[in-house]
This record gives sequence, C-alpha cells and structure tokens, in this order.
Amino acid sequence: MSEKNREGKRTARERMLEQRAAERASSRRRKKLIVGGSVLAVIAAAAITGVLVQNQRSKPETPAAAPAGTIGDKNLVIPVGASNAPSVLTVYEDPRCPACGIFEREFSATIDQLEDAGKIYTNAHIVSFIDRAVPGKGSKNGANALACAQDAGHFRDFHDVLYRNQPDETNDAFGNKAVLLNLAKQVDGLDTPEFQACVNDNKYGGWVSSVQQDFDKSSYKSTPTVLLNGKPIFPKNGDEEITPANLVKWVDAANQGKQLGTAGSHGQTPAPTAAASEANNPSPTAG
Amino acid sequence: MNEFPDGGSLMAGPAAQPGDPALESAARWPEPAWSAWAGTAVRLGLAVVWGWAGLAKTADPAEAAQAVRAYEILPEGLVKPIGYGLPFLELALALLLVIGLGVRLVAGVCALLLLTFITGIASAWARGISIDCGCFGGGGHVDASQTEYLQEILRDTGFLLLAGWLLWRPRTRLSADGWLAS
Repeated sequence: MSEKNREGKRTARERMLEQRAAERASSRRRKKLIVGGSVLAVIAAAAITGVLVQNQRSKPETPAAAPAGTIGDKNLVIPVGASNAPSVLTVYEDPRCPACGIFEREFSATIDQLEDAGKIYTNAHIVSFIDRAVPGKGSKNGANALACAQDAGHFRDFHDVLYRNQPDETNDAFGNKAVLLNLAKQVDGLDTPEFQACVNDNKYGGWVSSVQQDFDKSSYKSTPTVLLNGKPIFPKNGDEEITPANLVKWVDAANQGKQLGTAGSHGQTPAPTAAASEANNPSPTAG
Repeated sequence: MNEFPDGGSLMAGPAAQPGDPALESAARWPEPAWSAWAGTAVRLGLAVVWGWAGLAKTADPAEAAQAVRAYEILPEGLVKPIGYGLPFLELALALLLVIGLGVRLVAGVCALLLLTFITGIASAWARGISIDCGCFGGGGHVDASQTEYLQEILRDTGFLLLAGWLLWRPRTRLSADGWLAS
C-alpha cells in the first residue's frame, strides 16, 4: 500500500514537472514566433516601402521636357543632318566614354562631311552610364549640356568641341558645369544666358535619365555603338575594320541609286552661322 | 537538473551515461565567454556591410534596376521591383543586426541572400557576360577587362562566413534577443 502511495506521489510530481517544462517550452515557442514574425514583418515592410518609394522617385520614362527638335518615340534622339538623307547613322555615345572620344576624334570630320553632303542622317543617343562605374557627374552633366546645345541649335559643334576636349575617364572635369560652359565659348553663339541657365539648372536631367533608361533596355551594352541603317559597323562591319575611308565607302554603297538629301544643312536647326562652322570645324572644307 | 533545455535529464535519471547526447550537449553548453562578444562584433560588422550596400543602391533607382537587369536572369517585369526593393531589404537586415533581434533567423536570411548573389555572379561569369556585380552601387555592363568576378565572389563568401558564424552562435552581447530572454 505504502509502496503504491509512493508510486502515486512520484507520478504526480513527475506530471507537475513535466507540465512546467511543457509550459516553459510553449512560452519559448511563442516568444520565438513573435520575434520571428517581427523580423519577417520588418524585412517585408522595408522591401515593399522600397519598391513604392523608388517607384515614386524614379523619373517617368517619358520626360516632361525634351530639347527642341528631338525625334523618336519619346523624343529621346537628337537628329543631325538632313532628315531626307538616304542613310541613317545611329550613334550611342557617353560624354565620358574614352572609346567614344577616340571614335569622335577619328571620325567626326568624316561624319560631318557625310551629313553636310546629304548622304547620312545621324541619330544621336546621348547616354550617361559611365557615372555609374566611375563616380562623378560628367556623363549626366555633359549629356544635359549637349541637350541644351541642341535646344540652342548648336548640338553638332558643341558635341565635337566636347569630344576634342574630353578628359581622362577618371577625371570628372565634365562634372564641373563651369568647365562645360567654358568649352561652350568655343561655339559661336552658344554662350548665351539661356544656355548657361539650362546647364546650371540641369534643365534636361529628366530627359538624360530617360535616354539612359532607353539604352539600358536596348540590346546594346557598350559605347560607342554605331549602326549604319540599323546594322552595327563599329568596330567592324562584317570582316572590314571601320576607318573613315571605309565608312564613306559603306555609305556610298548603301546610297547607290538613291537620291541624296538636302545638302549643306550643317546638321543644325536652325543652321548656325558660317563663322561658327569655320571656327569650330577641324575640316573647313565640310559642306 | 531541470534547467537542461530539453528536460531530458528527468527521464534519464541515474541511467544517464557520460555518452548520452543530451548530457553531452549540456556539458558543452556554456560557450566561451569571448564568443558572445565576438558574435556582437560579427553582427555589427555584417550590419555595416548591409548598411553600406543598401545605401549605395538607393540614390539612383534606374541604376539599381539596370544592375539587376544586366545579370540577364530575371524577366523584365521583376527587374524594377527587385532593383527598387533589394536595397531597402538590405537596410532592414542592417537594422535588425544592429539591434540584434532574431539573430539566427536574420543570419539565415543573410546567408540565403549571399548565396543568391554568389550564384548570380557565378552565373554571369559562366555565361561570359561582362558586368559589375552592382554589390555596392554601380553595376551594369562593363568592359570585359574590368570584370572582377573572383574578387566579388570571394568577398561575398567572406560575408557568408560571418552569417554562418551567427547561425552557429546566435547568442551575442548587447542584443535585443538577450534582453528579451532575461
């Protein structure tokens, strides 16, 4: 009997301890669930907030203001030359990209001549992604200044001046608006209060961002990307290396039997003065 | 006796042998005193990494989206949500690590995220595309000579080791977890 009683007591004590342990375990579990739930809630809330805030902050893909005379779906393209020229040269360039500088210094005189002869109509996409890889603002500020020059009717001359004075990729000189405004003095008639305000106020910042987003979504990955009538020709067109002579040859071949566009437009609307052309074009024979 | 975490000692009674797994783990239980402080350092170190990575990616949403797009893994519809949301998720991880709440779970999320990143970078490398990982801002296509896949993977592996430490030893000093447990 007493043996049985002891047995009963032991079981009761055991049960009580077991219950306590179970309670502790369930309280621990509850705490864990609350902490885990809070952690996941914080992470989810942050991610959702991020998506909403950044969506709000990201510039609309169709910019509110585009430079005068721009063309294309969302007015992201700067046209140079006669629109009725038989061939289209599409160029994607970043103001800070060294390869673009090398390309421009070798080819801009030839391209200007082809434009002025009514042989090609250039479509310029001024992209600005070097700032991402090499910290600075030179791509974006430079692109905005080019948009301002387009607005003023001096895109081609200012574009040629910028690339002739391009700093090293790691030197963010174009990030300094004073440098850009100083270079603009080399283009006759460009250094106006309107142009200065446009550069200083980053007037076409939204447009610059839209042009870049358009490039981001394109299949082209580097600059310069150069297409003749939609076909890549840089650095090679098929097996042939691009050279100024080859470029002329390819354009002439593509234009064979076609009527040339209006000649001598100097790629500008409105056309700048002849003085500007002579002062700034490395080859005054252009046109 | 009954402070054994699983209460198993009650049942084991005198039958418990030195080789008993429950006893073994209990005997090992008190971690070295420096371990909890080391854990705090690891936590804060990882928090700095996430905080830096998150902040660097918030300035330009289009850039963050392009960094994601450049991997050519996700469909266009997911590029922006990930590009926009990921930096804030990283900032949330930094915050949770600083306060030390749910350290083991947070470390698990960190490890998963780092494994995803390492896989993404390795996949870009294997497919021969030339991108910057965009780990600390930037990102997108770069010249083939400028890719740094190996360094990026080694760096993320280092961070993965930190997360692994916290998964193994989630008890750290100066943490919300410690405060909640007391």
